[in-house]
Amino acid sequence: MRLLVVEDEDRLAGIVKTQMGAAGFAADLAGSAADAIAALELTNYDAAVLDLGLPDRDGVTVLTAARGMGKTLPFLILTARDAVEARVAGLNAGADDYLTKPFAMAELIARVQALLRRPGGVLGITLEAGNLRLDTVGRELTIGGVPVRLPRQELAVLEQMMRRLGRIVPKAVLEEKLYGHDEEPDSNTIPVHVHHLRRQMQGARASLAIHTVRGVGYILAKAPP
Amino acid sequence: MRARIRSLQLRLTLELTALFVIASALALGGLIYNASLTADSLADRDLGLRAEDLAAHVVRADGGAPRLDLPPGLMQAYTDANAVFAVRDKDGHLIAASSPEFGSASARWPAGDGDPTYFQLSKFGPLGQDYAGLSVQVDSVAGPVSVAVAQRAGGNELVHAILREFVVDTGWYVPPFAALTLLLAVYRVRRSLRPLRAASDRALGIGPEAISLRLPATDVPAEALPLVTAVNRALDRLEQSFVVQRRFTANAAHELRTPLAIITARLDTLPGNGQLAALREEVARMNRLVEQLLCVARLDSLALDITPAVDLRAIAAEVVGSMAHLALAAGKSIALTGDERPVVIAGNAPAIADALRNLIENALAHTPRDTEVIVEVAADGAVSVSDRGSGVPVEDRPHIFDRFWRGQGSAPGGAGLGLPIVGEIVKAHRASILVEDSAPCGARFTMRFHPCD
Repeated sequence: MRLLVVEDEDRLAGIVKTQMGAAGFAADLAGSAADAIAALELTNYDAAVLDLGLPDRDGVTVLTAARGMGKTLPFLILTARDAVEARVAGLNAGADDYLTKPFAMAELIARVQALLRRPGGVLGITLEAGNLRLDTVGRELTIGGVPVRLPRQELAVLEQMMRRLGRIVPKAVLEEKLYGHDEEPDSNTIPVHVHHLRRQMQGARASLAIHTVRGVGYILAKAPP
Repeated sequence: MRARIRSLQLRLTLELTALFVIASALALGGLIYNASLTADSLADRDLGLRAEDLAAHVVRADGGAPRLDLPPGLMQAYTDANAVFAVRDKDGHLIAASSPEFGSASARWPAGDGDPTYFQLSKFGPLGQDYAGLSVQVDSVAGPVSVAVAQRAGGNELVHAILREFVVDTGWYVPPFAALTLLLAVYRVRRSLRPLRAASDRALGIGPEAISLRLPATDVPAEALPLVTAVNRALDRLEQSFVVQRRFTANAAHELRTPLAIITARLDTLPGNGQLAALREEVARMNRLVEQLLCVARLDSLALDITPAVDLRAIAAEVVGSMAHLALAAGKSIALTGDERPVVIAGNAPAIADALRNLIENALAHTPRDTEVIVEVAADGAVSVSDRGSGVPVEDRPHIFDRFWRGQGSAPGGAGLGLPIVGEIVKAHRASILVEDSAPCGARFTMRFHPCD
């Protein structure tokens, strides 16, 4: 898979390239908006990591240029935490996700993988998290290599959680994914699914667990020892 | 030592009051003095006329000695208890006297050729009264005679009546007139000092968050203008160095970001062991400090853009969601409670998120393992963060929002910037923050914002 990394800080770009390489991505580097636009014209990348603070032009121009060329590849933008306006502008211009600097490399890789696993993304159909493996097409789950059978709706909940590994999944998002807009889910349905899912995962010795963040949603993270 | 009066207004008022009191006392006193002088000369003229009157009534009997032939009306007037007289011929022989005592006493003041001789007579007569009088030489049918007349001192009721009338009828308006003039003067002083008061009101508003304000120079009296101008120039210089200082902090923090990001990334690529984990932790701490310094610099240099309607509940949900993995990694949990409906307030969403993030970081640092940090949003625009730590000692509460202040209970590795950032953000929102004990233990920080109308 080919990745375009647009970052003007050479040393940081170098590390990102190496790490992405280790994760199985071939990364090309561009140090300016002009270089990035030229590279996007020449090559069909699978995804791009874009720093918004570029020396020649605002990073958002790269994004709008790519969309102007009809490219649909997912963009992940990198911004400083205080550059809220830039982040919002990037998302409005069609960015798919963002990370604030400084970020952990593992987080960057996980986010890029998540982008590629989106419906229509190039990365396969299998989601992996801890010792969990979910085939999103065959709807088959294995935990520690052992197949686990789960009802359709619980699998859907787990899929959402695995796609946003380590990040909160608001309860409202789960409800939206599981039910159509005209269906009015019982406020208790999601907690019941999560409760059942949790028991199943625990029974199968999953390395991850679903944690509840009261009032906000759920998060898939390392299981308590 | 005399206490110095610092208020120009008070000083001017007091001095003007003194001046007016003295001036009106002098004016009134002068008038009364002049009036009494006039009264005296009136009395003298009265005595002179009386002497002439007496002389006119000296008659000479056929070839005989001169004698006084007063009509009974005059006789009564000139010989009552208040008036005495004596008439002598040019040889000094007594022609007539109001009483034998005055007759003999008047021999002491023989009248000269020209001006009358004035005399005082004390404790005279059966009543022991004081008299003032004159003796003068007047022509009569019997040749020049010497006439001595005296009136009881102070006995001139008319003069006193005139004086009293003057003081009561005319003199009374001097004090009110003076008071009115004084009031007008004080009012004028106050009015002329008004631009100075406006300048000092403006000066009250000048601070780190408003460094570009200047004292108004319009309408300032010419005498005070150099002071105002000089203060404004001093403020210009201070502002300049302040801006340089802020820019330095912001630049330094910003420049630190990239090398830190590189260190962070490189550390991530190294195969882990215990020491590396410690290093990563240190770098994470440094990252946080740099972010906080940038946040402080930003708060110092930019006025927060307050949006009329932001959803406090949504901000809290996002922050709690983004920090949940930190809590879980530390073996703690975090929850958002309270009203689930949107809570609309006036504010700057990223800044409020920053404040909340700092409060939650603080709470997570203090709460023990297996406890929960609770973020609660209330419908009235308040958001609170409670932990189950040891709480904030009452004596520390006034200081925890000071930059770089570190108390006994401070979390290790903190720089003392988190709560000051919270304080600044709260201040920029004209909101309030309250630190209290949480039940059953721990601290509870509540930020109260202004609900949107």
